[in-house]
Amino acid sequence: MDTNLVVEGLKFMGLGMGAVFLFLTTLIFLMGMMSKIVHKFFPEVQPSTSSSSSNTQSNQKKVAAAITAAIKFHRES
Amino acid sequence: MKKNVIKTFMFLVLLSFSSLYASVAETTLHEAATKKVETYQAQSFSEMVGGFLSSTGIKAFLSPDPNELSSHGDKMSDFHKSWGRVIMILVAFALFYLAIAKGFEPLLLLPIGFGGLLANIPIAGIAGPDGFLGIMYEMGLANQFFPILIFMGVGAMTDFGPLLSNPKTALLGGAAQFGIFGTLVGAVALAQYTPIFEFTLQQASAISIIGGADGPTSIFIASKLAPELLGAIAVASYSYMAMVPIIQPPIMKALTTDAERKIKMSTLRHVSRLEKLVFPIMVLVLAILVLPDATPLIGAFMFGNFLKESGVVDRLSDTMQNALINIVTIFLGLAVGSKLAADQFLVADTLAILALGVVAFSAGTAAGVIMAKIMNLFPGNKVNPLIGSAGVSAVPMAARVSNKVGMEYDRSNMLLMHAMGPNVAGVIGSAVAAGILLSLFS
Repeated sequence: MDTNLVVEGLKFMGLGMGAVFLFLTTLIFLMGMMSKIVHKFFPEVQPSTSSSSSNTQSNQKKVAAAITAAIKFHRES
Repeated sequence: MKKNVIKTFMFLVLLSFSSLYASVAETTLHEAATKKVETYQAQSFSEMVGGFLSSTGIKAFLSPDPNELSSHGDKMSDFHKSWGRVIMILVAFALFYLAIAKGFEPLLLLPIGFGGLLANIPIAGIAGPDGFLGIMYEMGLANQFFPILIFMGVGAMTDFGPLLSNPKTALLGGAAQFGIFGTLVGAVALAQYTPIFEFTLQQASAISIIGGADGPTSIFIASKLAPELLGAIAVASYSYMAMVPIIQPPIMKALTTDAERKIKMSTLRHVSRLEKLVFPIMVLVLAILVLPDATPLIGAFMFGNFLKESGVVDRLSDTMQNALINIVTIFLGLAVGSKLAADQFLVADTLAILALGVVAFSAGTAAGVIMAKIMNLFPGNKVNPLIGSAGVSAVPMAARVSNKVGMEYDRSNMLLMHAMGPNVAGVIGSAVAAGILLSLFS
């Protein structure tokens, strides 16, 4: 056997681990940048949930008012 | 006179026709003779019984046909035709036991086991080029099609949220790939310094991918670099994935101190939908720029994930997560099973692959845990080293193991979501490692 396989294997390991870490480190860096950009320029608006909850709150108030009015009316009559 | 001429003419015409007819008849007769070599010939009843008895499985097991060829058309030894098949059928039963009684990856071990059972039937040639297992193998495994489809489904099931909210855990998924390359060195060292095993670099690479703990990637690489080892590699890969809860905890406990195991990690921040939508495209673009050899795997994976996160094609993403991946799993399992034929599986290499596989797996686990400890040497939020083991990509089993071991030491320490980060990064990491191995041989 003319080529030493173990040396070849070690070369593979160096290149392979290097490339995996390069890839993932770049990815970590990109993820951080992407998150910043997204949060700065496209902040996630959550009006739908808050408005719906306020809607339901006001609805509940209206229902409560209607019930008290009905009870009052019932007692008075 | 005129009448005579006509008569002779008619006679000649008739003669020419008849000769023509005769020659036609002769050729058809000849064709029929060559076609009907296997025509039924009347036999005496005792001859029929004798013929039937010589075509039974019992006969084939006890005194195999010396001219029978393997599914590849090679010569087979008598051992592989008789007792080898019996042993492999028992191996198939052992796989059934592991899958049903022990619950080890039943979704894959059952089809693989049954495929192995069918592939070892004598005479029928189910794993041969015309048998249905052989057809399935040619259809999707020889050309790496099924692993890619599985990757699509896994992509559609993956949530990158935990990784996005704590990006640095991706390093743990990278470190665990040491299992792959460390084993590569181990396999070639075996080939170099022992006379028994003769692995080429391609075969060593295919074996070492088991350390990535990623079944589809192992199959993808094995069928490209070393199809002759596919059966053993696939079985080793899936069995070790199934044995994650047994293999990993002792290594995790040995490498960590009590205080480290109780580290609480800060809660994960909320990840917006847009981030999740941009992420798959970002990874794919990075893969295109850095490592196009990995794009078949990463592309399919990110396609599935993109459809899921887009939120507008629920029907398609639902199909990938369920119907598609289920159908492909059946085909993939049976096709892998077809490689459990005795002449290919009962060789010394298989033992080496099983042994190297568990080494690969353990090395990956250890490297992930050690990487987490190294990260803790730097300032910043501390990482619980127990999630390092989740860097091997057996999703979500490895993350569950991290969580379970963490809970053993502190009931209130929920590590599951933290461990999902390195877990999904491990999938990307092993796809990258696979791409590098492919690029080195292309």
